[in-house]
Amino acid sequence: MTGHPRDLTELLEESQDLQSDALATTRTSLDDLVEASLDGPSTYDQADALENRRFADAHRRSLQRSIGTTTLLGAAGGGLLVALLASPALASSSPDIQMMQTAASIENLAVSTYKTALTLPYIGGSSANPVVKKFCQVTESQHDQHNDAFNAAAKRLGGKAQTKEDPTYVPVVKKAVAGLAGASPTAGSMGVVNLALELENVAAETYVNDMSHLKDTRAKELTASIMGVEAQHAAVLLSVRALLEANAPQDIALSPTVVAMLPAAAGSVGFPNSFYPTTLAAPADQGAVK
Amino acid sequence: MRPFHRKQRPELAISEGEMARMTEELDQLHHEVGKPAMEAQVAAWADELRSGVRQSLSRRHFLVGTGGVLAGGAVLATLATHPTLAAAAASGSSSSSSNPPNSQGGISGLSGDLAVVALAASLENLAVSAYSQGISAAQAGKLGTVPPAVVTFATTAKSQHMDHAAAWNAILRAAGKDPVTITTPSLTPTVTADLAKVANVTDLANLALTLENAAAQTYQVQAAKLKSTKGIATASTIQPVEMQHAAVLYYALGEYPGVQTSSGSPLAFNPTTEAVS
Repeated sequence: MTGHPRDLTELLEESQDLQSDALATTRTSLDDLVEASLDGPSTYDQADALENRRFADAHRRSLQRSIGTTTLLGAAGGGLLVALLASPALASSSPDIQMMQTAASIENLAVSTYKTALTLPYIGGSSANPVVKKFCQVTESQHDQHNDAFNAAAKRLGGKAQTKEDPTYVPVVKKAVAGLAGASPTAGSMGVVNLALELENVAAETYVNDMSHLKDTRAKELTASIMGVEAQHAAVLLSVRALLEANAPQDIALSPTVVAMLPAAAGSVGFPNSFYPTTLAAPADQGAVK
Repeated sequence: MRPFHRKQRPELAISEGEMARMTEELDQLHHEVGKPAMEAQVAAWADELRSGVRQSLSRRHFLVGTGGVLAGGAVLATLATHPTLAAAAASGSSSSSSNPPNSQGGISGLSGDLAVVALAASLENLAVSAYSQGISAAQAGKLGTVPPAVVTFATTAKSQHMDHAAAWNAILRAAGKDPVTITTPSLTPTVTADLAKVANVTDLANLALTLENAAAQTYQVQAAKLKSTKGIATASTIQPVEMQHAAVLYYALGEYPGVQTSSGSPLAFNPTTEAVS
């Protein structure tokens, strides 16, 4: 099944321009964000620090429980993740800036992960499923734009841009990528999808959680405009994973004809939660510039 | 439920059983993680609203009030009978809210966060109503061939919208207000007219997509405006779910499975031009 490569290629090209337009809209919000920050950037007071610490502790306990009861992290090195969460670093800027920087660090990691995935022949090569390939290309581009937007917000709030990847998840990704060496296209594709799914959920859940902690309205608006996009990435990856697990990669296609042939259960596999969870949310200071 | 019309289809490598097992695993995760967290969140918000409610609410009152909004079945009953939520609402015995009661399940007469809550409940009611009518039309054979995956999507999405409506109405009940039983006044005439024109699955999917995008964009706008952090958290946990519904609908229509322009170009940032106020 080949999907609609013409449509997707054109969409990808068009989206570069249109996403620039969308980003321009976002920049309007960012300009407002700057104005708000010039009125008086929030300071990192003791209450904020304590709240961040409480959340970070709760996050680690919650994530440890989550990892202990699910296999979702299996392909991405869940055990290692638990160990890494044991000693978070501290940052000194305001919580809003930290959240923007942490978000940028997650986006940096997502960009590099998709970029790496696209070097694999069964993801980005001629043998790749065209829908999966274009999804990875579009998604990499979107994460890059998210990264730019979060960093612009951090800088205009008085902080620095975060150019590094989230330190907590870098070893996890490296381990997962190393595990792909020599893997069959089927196993490799599954590994990539599992890893990407985990990163998308970390991103989406972090932003959902940030929404009730951010103080600046414009920062909230930016975060709100991105969190659902990451959730859509996760929905696509859940569906792709289900079809790969069922040994039906040929059914990964953008075609109502193929949709008509899918079994009933395929209709809901992409959105398992009525309410998006936050158990994988990163603490505000996790990816902050130190 | 009557079986839907299904056309003969080629044999697939994937079996119904295999896919069902995956769905069950995810569903289990949902019940273990997503809903309990939301229930605790809503219960905490309800607790915040207790201080001024004059009317004592019995557990039964809460259950009837929440479950009676729309024919809810097991999902609403499960949510409403959750001890934390029920206790929070039942104990909401005094409210200092300056809002007058919203009459007869409407959304008028409220202000501040409660007005947003009522708007959200009405949007969820509209989605439930639209999916219900779509499913009924499919069952009656009015939409031609309906793919089984589309049927599952519609029933699951409807169920999740009922969860959302129940959450918002639990908040209203805790604040001493009537649960919202109406659909969004500004959208209902258009949706009703569009529903009357639906002749096939594509029409229905396009209508559902419009509703999902409107709901997601409304939550996106309101999440940045709500004062209560619990309210922000509630809206924020729902917005991505509506966007996931939209992604699946795009996929069902053979389009790129994500937010996009009217010409189909993917967007990195969800717009708010379709938000309802």
